[in-house]
Amino acid sequence: MKRYDAIVIGGGHNGLVTAAYLARAKRSVLVLERRPRVGGAAVTEEIFPGFKFSMFSYVVSLLRPEIIRDLDLPRHGLHILPLESTVTPMENGDYLAAWGDHDETRRELYRHSPRDAEAYDEYGRLMHFMAQAVKPILGMVPPDPTSFAPGDLAALLKLGRHFRGLGAERLHALVKLMTMSSADFLDEWFETDVLKATKSASGIIGTFLGPRSPGTAYVLLHHYMGELDGVFRAWGFAKGGTGAVSEAIASAARGFGAEIRCNAGVSKVAVRNGHATGVVLENGDEIPARTVVSSLDPRRTFLQLLEPDHLPSEFVSDIRRFKFRGSSGKVNLALDALPTFTCMPDAAGGRLHRGAVSISPSLDYVERAYDDAKYGEFSRRPYMDIVFPSMIDPGMAPPGKHVMSIFVQYAPYSLNGGWTDAQREAFGDAVVNTVESFAPGFKSLILHRQVITPLDIERITGLSEGNIFAGELALHQLFFLRPAPGWAKFATPVRGFYQCGSGTHPGGGIMGASGRLAAMRILKDGT
Amino acid sequence: MSRNGGGFDAIVIGAGANGLVTAHYLARAGKRVLVVEQRHAADASADIGWVPDAVIRDLGLAGAGLRIEAPDPWITAPLAAGGTLELSRDIGRSAEAIRRISPADAAQWPEFCQRMRTLAGVLERLYLAPPPDIESNEARELARIAGLGLYVRRLGKQTVIDLARILPMSIAELLDDWFESDVLKGLLGALGVWHLKQGPRSGGTAFNFLHHHAGSPAGVFRPARSNVTQALSGISGVALRRGERAAVLAKNGRASGVVLEKSGEAILAPLVVSSADPRATLQPIAFELDPEFARAVDNIKARGVVARGTLALGSAPAYATLCIAPSLEYLERAYDDAKYGRDSAAPYVEVQRTNARLEVHVQYVPYTDGAANVQRHQALQQRVAQVLGAQPGQLQLRSPDEMDNPTEGHLYHGELTLDQILFMRPVPGWSRYRTPIEGLYLCGSGTHPGGGIPGAAGRNAARAIL
Repeated sequence: MKRYDAIVIGGGHNGLVTAAYLARAKRSVLVLERRPRVGGAAVTEEIFPGFKFSMFSYVVSLLRPEIIRDLDLPRHGLHILPLESTVTPMENGDYLAAWGDHDETRRELYRHSPRDAEAYDEYGRLMHFMAQAVKPILGMVPPDPTSFAPGDLAALLKLGRHFRGLGAERLHALVKLMTMSSADFLDEWFETDVLKATKSASGIIGTFLGPRSPGTAYVLLHHYMGELDGVFRAWGFAKGGTGAVSEAIASAARGFGAEIRCNAGVSKVAVRNGHATGVVLENGDEIPARTVVSSLDPRRTFLQLLEPDHLPSEFVSDIRRFKFRGSSGKVNLALDALPTFTCMPDAAGGRLHRGAVSISPSLDYVERAYDDAKYGEFSRRPYMDIVFPSMIDPGMAPPGKHVMSIFVQYAPYSLNGGWTDAQREAFGDAVVNTVESFAPGFKSLILHRQVITPLDIERITGLSEGNIFAGELALHQLFFLRPAPGWAKFATPVRGFYQCGSGTHPGGGIMGASGRLAAMRILKDGT
Repeated sequence: MSRNGGGFDAIVIGAGANGLVTAHYLARAGKRVLVVEQRHAADASADIGWVPDAVIRDLGLAGAGLRIEAPDPWITAPLAAGGTLELSRDIGRSAEAIRRISPADAAQWPEFCQRMRTLAGVLERLYLAPPPDIESNEARELARIAGLGLYVRRLGKQTVIDLARILPMSIAELLDDWFESDVLKGLLGALGVWHLKQGPRSGGTAFNFLHHHAGSPAGVFRPARSNVTQALSGISGVALRRGERAAVLAKNGRASGVVLEKSGEAILAPLVVSSADPRATLQPIAFELDPEFARAVDNIKARGVVARGTLALGSAPAYATLCIAPSLEYLERAYDDAKYGRDSAAPYVEVQRTNARLEVHVQYVPYTDGAANVQRHQALQQRVAQVLGAQPGQLQLRSPDEMDNPTEGHLYHGELTLDQILFMRPVPGWSRYRTPIEGLYLCGSGTHPGGGIPGAAGRNAARAIL
């Protein structure tokens, strides 16, 4: 049997990025994907005849520009369509809108608060700068602060200099962003509640935290790092859904000579004398390789693919402690027609449906949604981020019909009494009833409905507890602590076995940075 | 009318522990010091927190009648099934007591105590000096930071990792890592939310827990109680004027003294040190401040959430400290009410006995900017009495709205959240006790290292001034 230079376990976007970079460096690479298609949580599926959905992850923004360049993804079919506006319906029938046009957004803000309209530009500049300041960290292998190795000390020193180079004011802003709650951070800038609520929502995505929980300001910044075609904070859709992103990376990887095998679940990593020698498939086949790379989350990578005695016990308890608490769900709908929102009956000439609709009318609303989850219930009135992909990419639905994608928070993985079919439907009802309250008549437009709970995310994609970031983006799980202290550099305690998924630095979102950094580390180690 | 009273070199605003400590250090350096205090009489309540040895030694407090209580057991918590959990100063005895409710937790107790002690030790070292100035290019300061880094690394790999991991964590996550028993996690978790408008599941509460562990021996997770303010008032060397509220006099970026609010009398001095909270000190002279700095002062988070008061019982109770916080969820739900501006329906209540006096700490009672009224007060009194099994009439409580100072009734003059400590306290970049007003310094709890350590900020400030 052929012995590969590298086997990548899992064909999610990070696994594919690692494979593409390794293949590009002339290594023989095999990607093994358990499901019938590549993509992991970035897949497009025709769930109802004629209606296609980005089943889980649905917007693209964080994908690293160097990856797009290095892998020449546009040539492999990646085409990003801009998503420009966000409209937040309010409970009093008014709305807050952020449009693609900066001046128009300012005028809209001015309507709510002249002071906030003034602060908005300054805030945008600061966040832009902070994202720039943090960006080099995303592209760096985290140094180990407990090590006395010259390489680590030099990297720490470099990091120290980088931060000092920011200047006092920005350094202070960075400390605030790293430690504050998004509500407190935004309170320092704005007075309009609905504005703060909508902005704070990007600080809670994927977390088991509310807008008033410290640590959410960092997630806010994490989402500000989105960069498409060099434009910061630009969100977009991949033509053909997020599955098209995975397909493009897969196509690039194949172009470099990588093999990709679907319906090929891996049950174990073969280890001899502390060294990975290949993988054992679920069907019992063993495939040898010089290097094995796992793109699965840390829990499955270390506690399922390996035997406990392959790993130091301290490391095993660190991984057991790594937190996953999935908190988001998804509702995918096939619609007969577009819904009309009370706050904007004319939909601003169709612009409303071409952007995002954020159900975040007030900070208290979002915080209350979190309170439910804290005690093991799904939010009765959840925070939602709604998009209509068929308005941007008509290929997603039959002519005249539409698809609607609703990202929902909070739906705790550990629901009181556990998730059952009845609970799933009750959750789906809470979602559509809440939308209905902002868009009367909406329910009658629904042709089909798919409700995805964190348990479903776990079952289908394998992400532990359905955590969309493959591990919470909490301060104590970032950088040199992701996924465990001492093992944040993509290597593992088993020689020849590496990790490359979102559970490693920098993690989260369709970013691909983990996959790229891992590939570079593997190549440096001489595979 | 203005006069240069007794020809003072320095005026200190506030005769709390920090104000008096600064005053006495300045006096010992040969300065003529006047302390102005708005209260007529000294506060009878105990000082809560670690009094650093350096302060006791330098100011000879041991000879001035300083008493530090070391109650044993240091906490008593009622159990749902009847009886109590009592934790002692002796780690082994506490483990025995814990074993009756959870053998697993008892087994964890000694190691938990040691790990927390090591981390609190790092904080103690940080607290007895001005915060590290990470922007400095001075060789001395850089050497000090490097020394600090080296010191931490010498404590071992585990300590470095613990510091990075635990400080930003929530106390709930930290305790869940170690223990299973609700009552144990509740009484420990309560310390993590002390004086914070956060629940035990909020990040940064593990830091707040360690902050309040500083100065205590391993295995004791409640700050010491003492009469340090009283002892400080007893030593001579500074002039004291009571019953006068003083505001800073500042002109053209320079402080020239204070003006007494009642009489309008101005007392001049080239140096003014305020132990009042930074917002109360600086907001009245905002016109003298750079707008960026003034905005940073306005942004200091100091949301009072603690009502304090006294309890009068017929006879002295058996406990030294009684803690009603039966679980982390109880605390979290108590916090939920505060998030929406309500007093906790089921508050966390702690009774502290010092000699014959019983003082009560009630959380959460959020500051609501004047929304306090008689009904709300009575309802709170009733609920607290119910939690304690006492009569409402036996309680005397003051909520944050009912405290005349400090700002928003926050007794620490600024919450101890990660964005408001070290070089971020009281405002980013101004952590060295100086202010942009020449001759005006801060020395209160609003400055590094913050509340709950009477005298530490006062000592650091005096040393910075001298």
